[in-house]
Amino acid sequence: MDRYVHVKLLNSFIVSLSKTPDYRFALSNGKRVSLVETVGVVVGRERKDKFLRFHLDDGSALLPCILWLNHLYLSPSPSPRDELLFTMAVEQAEEVALGKLMTVRGRITEYRGVKQITVSNLRVEENPNAEILHWLQCIKLGKESYNLRPPLTSNS
Amino acid sequence: MVYLTKPSKGWLQEYCVDTAVAVIVDGNVSLRIDTQHLRDVHFRLGSFYQFIGELVIQPDNNAILQARVGRNVDGLDLNLYNQSLQLRRQFEADHMSRHKTT
Repeated sequence: MDRYVHVKLLNSFIVSLSKTPDYRFALSNGKRVSLVETVGVVVGRERKDKFLRFHLDDGSALLPCILWLNHLYLSPSPSPRDELLFTMAVEQAEEVALGKLMTVRGRITEYRGVKQITVSNLRVEENPNAEILHWLQCIKLGKESYNLRPPLTSNS
Repeated sequence: MVYLTKPSKGWLQEYCVDTAVAVIVDGNVSLRIDTQHLRDVHFRLGSFYQFIGELVIQPDNNAILQARVGRNVDGLDLNLYNQSLQLRRQFEADHMSRHKTT
């Protein structure tokens, strides 16, 4: 699977990804996945100086997400780009509030053996039907593009 | 007794400001919601709400959901939601069975 594509997945699929020998992640059919997109409700939020950690509940599983806010700590003299990224990240962090329905995009990582999303961008969904749209897109893409088909029976 | 719950949805039928207890209904079923821990949720009778929290069975056998998270979901297409939820559960079940057989 193209490593630059954000794969739309339910949280239960993300937390059940397997780790590959080259430290990437794969679906049950062996297809590699790096970037994902999911939609869920924020049910936990912890703000620190250098990051925001929050939990996204989509009804299938709880997924930890981390939004880094450490751009100004990475070098002794941060570049204008670092400052811009930091400002954008802080603005995004302020949007994350308990009970908000959010679309989150980012890279799959693992922390202490638990899968999480390292967030690259997020947005608040004002339309509650966005959750339904995401489910249906996950099902359609899973069947038609990601090849996540149910197992074939012996007589089929 | 406390149970973790999946999201509970329903129309707001009652809300008591003193106790912060709300009652939501969906069809013939109603559920009491303890909303004392919620912030920034404005309650309006007749609106549609979703709550996530712990379901507590009280000594008198009545259930109340102690909400951790709540949000107004006015505009949600409930029929589409219920149909999509069935599709999603079936899809997840199929995937998990594949996962076990591979």
